Amino acid sequence: MRLTQKKVLTKVHVLFLVQSCLIGTGILQIPQKLSAMGYSQAFMPLFFALIATINLWPMLWLNSKFPNNNLFQINEILLGKTIGKFINFLLIILFTIVCIDAISSYMLLIQSTALPEQTITFPIICFLALLIYLVRGGIFTIARFSIMAFFITLPMVLLTKWAIQKGEFSHFFPLFNFTLQEFYEASKNGYLSFLGYELILFYYPYIIQQKSAFKYATIGIWISGVLMLITTGVSVMYFSEWQLSNIEYAVLNIFKAGEYSFIERIDIIGMTLWIFLVYSTVALYLWAANEGFKTLILPKSQIHLYILVISIFIMLILPISKYLKMKIFTINNYIFYLLLLWPIFLILIYLFRKKQVHQ
Amino acid sequence: MKIIIRTLSGKWRKKINTDKSPNPEYTLQLLQLLSDNSYDIVFQKKLTSEGIVTIIFSSSLIEKMTLQAVVLAPLSHSLHQIHQIAERMQYNQISEIENKINAGYTILYFHETKQYLALDTYSAPIRAITNTEIESTVIGPQDAFTESLETNISLIRRRIHNHYLKNESIYIGNNKQYQVSIMYVDNIVNKKLLKKLKKRLQHINPPPLLDTAVLKQLIEDNPFSPFPQYYMSVRPDTIAHYLLDGRMALLINNSQTVIICPTSFFEMFTSIEDYYNRWTTATLLRSLRFFGFFITIMITPMYISTLTFHPEILPYELLLNLQESRSKVPFPPLIEVLFIELIIEVLREAGSRMPAKVGQTIGIVGGIVIGTAAVEAGLISNILIVLVATSALLSFLPPIFLMSNTSRLVRYFFIIAAGLFGLFGQMLAFAWLITHLLRIRSLGEPYMVPLIPRKWTDLLNSVVRFPMAYLKNRMGISKSQKS
Repeated sequence: MRLTQKKVLTKVHVLFLVQSCLIGTGILQIPQKLSAMGYSQAFMPLFFALIATINLWPMLWLNSKFPNNNLFQINEILLGKTIGKFINFLLIILFTIVCIDAISSYMLLIQSTALPEQTITFPIICFLALLIYLVRGGIFTIARFSIMAFFITLPMVLLTKWAIQKGEFSHFFPLFNFTLQEFYEASKNGYLSFLGYELILFYYPYIIQQKSAFKYATIGIWISGVLMLITTGVSVMYFSEWQLSNIEYAVLNIFKAGEYSFIERIDIIGMTLWIFLVYSTVALYLWAANEGFKTLILPKSQIHLYILVISIFIMLILPISKYLKMKIFTINNYIFYLLLLWPIFLILIYLFRKKQVHQ
Repeated sequence: MKIIIRTLSGKWRKKINTDKSPNPEYTLQLLQLLSDNSYDIVFQKKLTSEGIVTIIFSSSLIEKMTLQAVVLAPLSHSLHQIHQIAERMQYNQISEIENKINAGYTILYFHETKQYLALDTYSAPIRAITNTEIESTVIGPQDAFTESLETNISLIRRRIHNHYLKNESIYIGNNKQYQVSIMYVDNIVNKKLLKKLKKRLQHINPPPLLDTAVLKQLIEDNPFSPFPQYYMSVRPDTIAHYLLDGRMALLINNSQTVIICPTSFFEMFTSIEDYYNRWTTATLLRSLRFFGFFITIMITPMYISTLTFHPEILPYELLLNLQESRSKVPFPPLIEVLFIELIIEVLREAGSRMPAKVGQTIGIVGGIVIGTAAVEAGLISNILIVLVATSALLSFLPPIFLMSNTSRLVRYFFIIAAGLFGLFGQMLAFAWLITHLLRIRSLGEPYMVPLIPRKWTDLLNSVVRFPMAYLKNRMGISKSQKS
């Protein structure tokens, strides 16, 4: 089962793959998702980054035991072919739903603000066509795209300047004004925006310097943590507690705070530029699903990607009620928390079956 | 090689195998038959101290003075000189003899001794070394390559006094009829890349190779891409600069331009003058060229997006001003932009094809008639004229003309994308552009360096050019040997 992968990812690639996958569409809504904690949400991203760093450790430990295998292959080695393939199948569905979730929420946003008079089908087709082009470039292209996406979208941080000027610094205090229930509620909803680092389980075999992967993945996590801290911090300063819990896309409203003599609605530019962040996230999940699909059937064929994209397209245009969609996405998200704990479970099995595995 | 040739009497004969000749006399007859209808192939008989000698040469490739000095004079009084310097040919290698004649050699056939000799007398008229008109600079050397391979190699050798500078010659094509010269600095160049380049060259079967531009397209990694994947220059100093950085240069005879490989996307926006200018000026100019590329592909699509899909982006006063300027225009913004952009393309194309004196008229027609009159006629808005003019000027900033062409082509993708989906379409096109650039490779090396650097030191010589004292390392894309 051990496959010799072509190692293409440098440590910088790892850093930005982790970083950019964390910042997808989730960051747009994070102040609302953390709103259970009111103004005390500001420093939650740092807490999340800490949890993610701790969570990363068992993942990379497991990977280090199987340096040439991704999680799909590890599943099959440790759990046997049948159970392994079944788990892999679930993972593929999980990742596909994440892609659908991210694309549909972004497209909904685009339709409601940038293209209110058009049907969204043709833009979705164009979006997916480019997605295929990106994913077909392989993990190396996605990693390089992530680097570009980071630097192209980074100047948007400057747009928070006006919100900071107009905001109220005293909103930060008192720092820990929340109950345990509120903290739990906010963590449960908010940590979903911090997912993406777990995909290192799948691209680890492609990393050249695998020993330094933890260091650079951690830097990636903390860069995203700081960017989210800026988002929550500025939101806390700029919005009232009511606004925090009721404004869905707080980041776009922060952009609107800017006042220029030549431009009125800079949030539309910001939102359309966000496509880079959406691509860097969705492409990585789709790539992982594609890799998993290859372990199930026809490993040498190119057809998997097209099947996945066509199924995503069908799901996106199916006339399903918003309520049902939200329910599917929420269940999917909670299953995702299981994925975070999955490596720990596999480590236990590995320790138990160590001799068998090495034989 | 089998060919059908005509007899001297004019009757058609069957196929003759020109690689097989039973005797030297028959070879001479065959050569006469082969050069039938080529009046510049001269056959002359001379009586010398060694009997009759037939001289065969192409008068279009040899100057009379050279022929007199190298062949005719020694034939009459110092035949031993000819025997010392001439190359001996086998009478049955007819193709080789024929190639020699076409390459400017003079063939001597000694009837008494039945010997064929070849003398290098190539002296075809060549253009003198002149100023570069395509890549002119204000500072720095002004000489440019010519169409002579020897002259071009000499121009490079003058700049690199190093015995490691190699000049390999390989023959490509089905009949190995095209000579390509690969230049590199042996102790710097990456041997794997050199091997890859040679392999590519050996596996192509070119159509008529009239210029290096054709060769470049044949060895590119992605032939469908609108982006040029190798740098081309007519400046010897540019080529010397890249050779010393560890790249390889490809030259062919009768072509003024030289190919450099591998090359990155960013290098398409650099000029050798950047190294002659002070670092501050160089940085400013590089920034203009590089960001100018992105502005030129975005500026007119932005006009379409704003007016068609997102008028709310603009403040009320500015929007009013814009709407007022196009109040008489009957077309939607997409048609309006396509109309004026195409007119600019027509003007540019017409201007570049016309003689210089007539070309000035085109400028007047473009400036006055199209510009002012079209606005007054209410066909286009005057704000769009400003945007299109800026965009057209910016598109001419890249020093490599092929990249300049690409920027104009890519702009149309953006215009159509903006016409379809507004800003979303523009950003989708931008994401496509970035993905495409990330997927392109130049001789197998990533094209998007040093924007995504191979080495950290690449950043010192990117959009910001650091002072020369800091530019000690070679670029990452060269993968040069450590020396």
